[in-house]
Amino acid sequence: MKGTELKYEDLEGFFKGLLENNVVDALIMPHRVGNKVSYMLVRDKERIASPESVIFAPSFGVNAANVVKGWMIDNKVGIVAKPCEIRAAIELIKLKQLNEESVLLITVDCSGAFKNEDYAEHYPEIGNLVDSAKIKELEGKGISMREACAICENRLADIGDIIIARVNGKVGVAGLTDMGVEALSAVELPLEDKDLERKEEKERIVAEARKRLGELPRIDSVEALEEFLRDCILCKNCRDVCPVCYCKECFFDQPLGNPAGGDLLNLAELRGAIEVPANQLLYHLTRVYHVCTTCVACGACEDACPKGIPLTRFYPVLAQKVQEIFEYVPGKDAKEPLPFTTYEDEELEECLR
Amino acid sequence: MEEEKGDFEPKIVGFTCNWCTYAGADLAGTSRKKYPPNIRLIRLMCSGRIDPMFVLKALLNGADGVFIGGCHPGECHYIKGNFYARRRIAALRTILKQFGLDNRVRSEWISASEGDKFARTMKEMAEEIKQLGPNPMRDKIL
Repeated sequence: MKGTELKYEDLEGFFKGLLENNVVDALIMPHRVGNKVSYMLVRDKERIASPESVIFAPSFGVNAANVVKGWMIDNKVGIVAKPCEIRAAIELIKLKQLNEESVLLITVDCSGAFKNEDYAEHYPEIGNLVDSAKIKELEGKGISMREACAICENRLADIGDIIIARVNGKVGVAGLTDMGVEALSAVELPLEDKDLERKEEKERIVAEARKRLGELPRIDSVEALEEFLRDCILCKNCRDVCPVCYCKECFFDQPLGNPAGGDLLNLAELRGAIEVPANQLLYHLTRVYHVCTTCVACGACEDACPKGIPLTRFYPVLAQKVQEIFEYVPGKDAKEPLPFTTYEDEELEECLR
Repeated sequence: MEEEKGDFEPKIVGFTCNWCTYAGADLAGTSRKKYPPNIRLIRLMCSGRIDPMFVLKALLNGADGVFIGGCHPGECHYIKGNFYARRRIAALRTILKQFGLDNRVRSEWISASEGDKFARTMKEMAEEIKQLGPNPMRDKIL
């Protein structure tokens, strides 16, 4: 890959350059509001200040891809976000919910994140960036990373158009696609061959993540599932914040999926009694099927659950099992077809009966 | 509904395609093949029409088993409908497996000339579901 090494403080000039040279018309990137980190959509380069202090901040609020979902525009928008968010954006491109030519995907190394409210509360201890040693130290103090981040195998930036990696106290910036390399040339970065593969570090992260995944409580029976979803109030926040849940009109907002009045009475007559609000189990099982190939395991659903149901143990964990049978990694490559849009002549017979 | 394992008549919902499996069932009937009367067939134009939500809904509403029948791969009336169906069913069963529900869902490719295979599959499936016992969802307030 073609890239260069920058100092942390040079990043401000880089992002400003992207706007100044009209590489992008706007940037979606993190900014700081007091202790909190959130996203801004910025068009005036003067509004970008010390990005190096926020883009690596271990805080997760919304999945940035969810912000641009359905933006079929001609303007070009750069998205500076964590690997899981860029992976979601790539899935959206495949789902035709995002125009590949109108986004410049800039992936930033992630160290694992805290819920944004936890991050803001403990900002003095956490700071602008953390490493694995610091995360262990914080865990000792009872400040733990999001569960979705603990089981994440893809924290290092390795997808999108441009990657921004943290290496030896500096940042490595490299273009992965033609669009990315062109963007870097346009802001006049001195490009050379750069290796930001980081195989060993990746292996270490994968091993750690799999260990943590193995330690998660399993939902292994209908009874366990009922117990797990006991507190669900069907607010459907998990759907609304999910970057890859994209139907224009959700089945569960329609009369058949969200029965009311006479329909509900008829159902109750049929079964003697039904749970209300109706379709709790059907909702979650259908939704997990709908996202099973595209779920990027960002954990936004868990963060959004007002009842604190640890949905990471449900959506990403089940989705991973399905992704395994199709040998599919969501968000790896925008050119790779979605599993449900393709097939092999002979396959999967062992999964049918 | 105090039925014990092996001693109850399961209700099985079957989704079959118009061109192969439904015709296969028809052949089983016209050739007077005997098979247990537990299956309730729903005819669709193609196995590719089956939304996995149909299967989930049947299970959550108390069906003891769900059968899915389509043309043999490569012989779909609509060329590739059953290839897509196969991927969907495989994904759905992978999810259901986590909760021990996958063995209530079975799919077979049965052509219009395989009346025998249809009758045999129905026998096997009724037997399997009897062994599994009633669907745990059946008496729940869901």
